[in-house]
Amino acid sequence: MKIQLAPALLFASSVLAAWNWILRPERALAWTATLLFIGCMAAALFVTSRRANNAAEPIRNAVVFAGMMLAVALGAKLVTPLGGPETAEISRRTTMILLGFCMAMSGNMMPKTLTPLSALQCDPARIQAFQRFAGWTWVLSGLSFSLAWLVLPLALARPVSMVLLICGMVLIASQMVRLRFMRQKKA
Amino acid sequence: MNRVFKALSDPTRRRVLQLLRERPMSAGELSDHFPVSKPTMSAHFAVLQEADLIEAEKTGRTILYRLKMSVLEDALLGFAQTLGWEMKKKQRPIKGEA
Repeated sequence: MKIQLAPALLFASSVLAAWNWILRPERALAWTATLLFIGCMAAALFVTSRRANNAAEPIRNAVVFAGMMLAVALGAKLVTPLGGPETAEISRRTTMILLGFCMAMSGNMMPKTLTPLSALQCDPARIQAFQRFAGWTWVLSGLSFSLAWLVLPLALARPVSMVLLICGMVLIASQMVRLRFMRQKKA
Repeated sequence: MNRVFKALSDPTRRRVLQLLRERPMSAGELSDHFPVSKPTMSAHFAVLQEADLIEAEKTGRTILYRLKMSVLEDALLGFAQTLGWEMKKKQRPIKGEA
């Protein structure tokens, strides 16, 4: 499914960027940069599509994520020049809500990514505990990040979401330091 | 997702997952916690592996089982534990069970 989704999102983003360029030619530099960025993603997708399926998967996921964000942002930018209401706030909120969901999705998969036991340099039980902790923390951070952008006023959503994000990162980093310290103590 | 629900619908398999939350364990260590035959336990492990909830890795002469659950699957396990009595009623014996 993702094999078709990634090029479809890139194509949609290109069309939206070109349409934006036609309607707002004074911002030609921004649209050129956007189209160049899309071109780079398309090239990366083309190169990785020749590799084994497992190796291409992370690139495809990243392209799907970036394509989705671009399509939403470029689509929202089109509404005002086409005679619709001012959508700067909606565009920003939608992008940030999507970003939060993507964080939650990546956190969801964290405990499922296993390193072979032979390659581990630490107690496997401790690594597993850390991965579960990091996964849960990142999922909850992502969901609360999305919720903050969904319900709070724009002026409040920005600092609150940043605090939530930083709290998640600090929690994960402190757990990682704890794991390392325990390893050194054992050694 | 059906495989995950099927795997979580059995109390023995849920207990296996709970034990694996503590640390990776060998098949023997896990079997010691249950009053069932080894073939029955192997069938349970196979269901869990099929659902991609655990991973078996050979280290030396023993096979170690490790937890391989996403956060969502972990949360589902929590729900299944809470609602376990309902699922227990519908549960059927698996192949090989005495």
